[in-house]
Amino acid sequence: MPQARSRKKRQSEYFFDYSLLFIVLFLLGFGLIMIYSTSSYEAAMENQDAAYYLKKQTFAAALGLVMMFIVAQIPYHFWERFATLGYVVSAILILLVQTSLGRESHGARRWLNLGGLSLQPAEIAKLGMILFLASLVCKMGRSIRMLKGFFTVLCVPMPICLMVWKITDNMSSAIIIFGIAVLMLFVASPDYKKFVVCGLLAVAAAALVVFFISQQEMGSGDLGFRGERILAWLDPEAYASGKGFQTLQALYAIGSGGIFGKGLGQSMQKLGFLPEAQNDMIFSIICEELGLFGAIAIILMFVLLIWRLMVIANNAPDLFGALLVVGVLGHFAIQVILNIAVVTNTIPNTGISLPFISYGGSSVMFLLIEVGMVLSVAKGIRLKEY
Amino acid sequence: MKNKTFHRKKIVTIFVGCLLIFLILAGRLVYLMVWQSDHYSEAARDLHERERSIKAARGRIIDANGVVLADNKTVCTVSVIHNQIEDKEAVIAALCSKLDLDEDYVRKRVEKYTAIERIKSNVDKEDGDAIRELKLPGVKVDEDYKRYYPYDSLASKVLGFTGGDNQGIIGLEVKYEEYLKGTEGMILTMTDARGIELDAVGENRIEPVSGGDLHISLDMNIQKYATQLAMQAMETKQAESVSILVMDPKNGEILAMANVPEFDLNHPFTLPEGTDTTGMAEKEKQDALNKMWRNGCINDTYEPGSTFKVITAAAGLEAGVVSKEDRFSCPGYIMVEDRRIRCHKVGGHGAENFVEATMNSCNPVFVTVGLRIGAERYYDYFKQFGLLDKTNIDLPGEAGTIMHKKENIGMVELATISFGQSFQITPIQLATTISSIINGGNRVTPHFGTYVTAEDGTVIREFEYPVRENVVSAETSATMRYMLEQVVENGGGKKAYIEGFRIGGKTATSQTLPRGSGRYIASFCGFAPADDPRVLAVAIIHTPQGVYYGGQIAAPVVRQLFENILPYLEEMDYN
Repeated sequence: MPQARSRKKRQSEYFFDYSLLFIVLFLLGFGLIMIYSTSSYEAAMENQDAAYYLKKQTFAAALGLVMMFIVAQIPYHFWERFATLGYVVSAILILLVQTSLGRESHGARRWLNLGGLSLQPAEIAKLGMILFLASLVCKMGRSIRMLKGFFTVLCVPMPICLMVWKITDNMSSAIIIFGIAVLMLFVASPDYKKFVVCGLLAVAAAALVVFFISQQEMGSGDLGFRGERILAWLDPEAYASGKGFQTLQALYAIGSGGIFGKGLGQSMQKLGFLPEAQNDMIFSIICEELGLFGAIAIILMFVLLIWRLMVIANNAPDLFGALLVVGVLGHFAIQVILNIAVVTNTIPNTGISLPFISYGGSSVMFLLIEVGMVLSVAKGIRLKEY
Repeated sequence: MKNKTFHRKKIVTIFVGCLLIFLILAGRLVYLMVWQSDHYSEAARDLHERERSIKAARGRIIDANGVVLADNKTVCTVSVIHNQIEDKEAVIAALCSKLDLDEDYVRKRVEKYTAIERIKSNVDKEDGDAIRELKLPGVKVDEDYKRYYPYDSLASKVLGFTGGDNQGIIGLEVKYEEYLKGTEGMILTMTDARGIELDAVGENRIEPVSGGDLHISLDMNIQKYATQLAMQAMETKQAESVSILVMDPKNGEILAMANVPEFDLNHPFTLPEGTDTTGMAEKEKQDALNKMWRNGCINDTYEPGSTFKVITAAAGLEAGVVSKEDRFSCPGYIMVEDRRIRCHKVGGHGAENFVEATMNSCNPVFVTVGLRIGAERYYDYFKQFGLLDKTNIDLPGEAGTIMHKKENIGMVELATISFGQSFQITPIQLATTISSIINGGNRVTPHFGTYVTAEDGTVIREFEYPVRENVVSAETSATMRYMLEQVVENGGGKKAYIEGFRIGGKTATSQTLPRGSGRYIASFCGFAPADDPRVLAVAIIHTPQGVYYGGQIAAPVVRQLFENILPYLEEMDYN
């Protein structure tokens, strides 16, 4: 009997969330197929290698998987001591973008060149913020229930967000980081009222901005970069050759997919009509090729992913682990929602990639590291209450 | 340390919130991919599809014996596809040199941001092939058809020619445009954003429908011969121009219509050799071209002169104011009010009956007949014979009759009208009116077009032309045939006489306006066989040098024509 008990105990110690792993592997594999489908024609034209993007992404994904398994083996509390360091390092890396190490692409300076590897400091900042806030909230204990604690947690991510926005000119990443922080705070704080009020205020402010810009349309022609994006969002066909171009091309792709799609590999829009379809707009090509059916299936996969993260967070052995998972959940959920919303022109266009599916080496690696951390938290779950 | 319940609740709240947002997004997708699907699919197809039209082969023009007078030959259209051009400068240089075009012109089109831009059409096949051989990306050579006239200038002013888009510009090519042009086809191909056609998707083709073949009554053999005779007359008489019109008086079918000098239908924009175009303004050049293209038989009017006595005689006979046997006396002139109108024979023809007066083409007798009819009645006959209306020949630009108003016709005017002066008609009007007087009294519509066939030879359209019966009585018609035969056998038209054939006719020598310029128009209108006319011919010589009498110079032209075509027509009838 004791023999059997100890065996059972060992088993529970080695709990591994295979469901989560399977979902992530499925999304990764599906992403690689779609990256090949969307990029092969253009890659063959420009790089004489149809699998150019597929190879690069496969390499990054493999590296990411290795890192994921390593991180999954390390108890998550190991990272707690690096929380402050992570915050500082993120800030430094963002500043480094402006030095000679920075790399410019598509008119924005967002990347760092580190010995042949290019990475976005914003990706590190997301991970760093999750870690830092989780450890901060744990240290604060009950003081988070005070107004002071509430605003402390709300203000801590601000410097990083502003740096990401202003220095690397990446508003969407700034929004994601801030969003993650708000969600973690929401979970940590027992209060609801404050969040409802803040949420309503934010929605009202956004509506006011949109109204103001659409009214100004006739007044002055100079609305700046983001103002025009909002106008293009309201009527993409009127801005077909400018800011509305990408959105309109995405809508063409989505709309022409219909219910069952044109079939895998049959997209027309990827043939140069929708530039760099393998990046942020990959979801529109999924819609075109696999139809409403495929698009809903992918959304369901993401819902499953978030559900798994929720289950893990709810069963995490301690608050630190739960908050880590909530941060990751927030990161994934915000990014998926914003990406699909942008592609379907539900919100104004801003560059956000679709997790695990869009092309982008550093992005997929950091996503997998985050999954690794979640798996590590999951390992601490006791299968049985006792 | 166990997590608090509110943490779990909040995490579940987040999940539910996400779920709701996903539901909204899914709803948005359903809206876009089900309700808006048609709209975006169509917009996307417009974006992906490239249209290229396929020209339809223009219908041919075929003569009465099946000889093709207007045909098509393969030429090329060179265009550029902006997105596919790799080496812009090379493309511009190659197109400039091969197509002999201005560099600015080519550059403008090559640099223009359009899906496909036409550089030049109607390029010779050899040049087109040469450009295709260069294999320049972005340069497209499409084959299409160009009008080709195997007999160059034959019946040029009748057939007409086509412009750059294969559309008719003058002549039958314009008149029968709707039958000849056919329906353009279309090639729909899918392309990528660069404009490169995707072979895998295949193309959607709408086949062109060739234009119908127009069959005309013109007989190439007669036309050729008429043209030769006209050329000959023009050269020997150093005339400005000569027109010969041959028609079937019974049904109005035109067998030949030669207007020399003709022009080369394959190079219709080249002015006659020796024309000095330097220093010519664009408008002057266009005027010169228009003049060259004018069909004298239809577009120009003239004073018909003595040939018009046929109409006066017919009107007189119809009105019953004169008969064949009526006797007249010509002192060489006639007084009308205070005017003294002279006969062409200074001493006068003396005593003569009406038939002899016609043979002599005696002016005083015809003035007398005209006055007997009276201005009002004469005008009514003029109208009844159809002289006030156009003949409605199936060629564009027919000129109308220039005639006095009824109330302005006094004695003097009536007298001059009686022998064919002081008003103007077209040669086709004269030929048609005389036809209706000698064919038993049926006013026919002169025409070329007989029927249209489709590519496979089936007749798609047969043309019918109105005939107005009883313009003159059969009796008057018979009398006129008799009198006009006498003109050729024993009178002023005897130079048109051919042994063994019965030929009728009437000569004319008219002065061109202004009078006294010494410029004349010699003409003759003849028909055969005189008892049952099968063919009617009008020869008009403008401004001949030396002898200018119609009986002397125009009648022999018609005789020569008849000598050749009467045996030919008999043979045709026999067959």
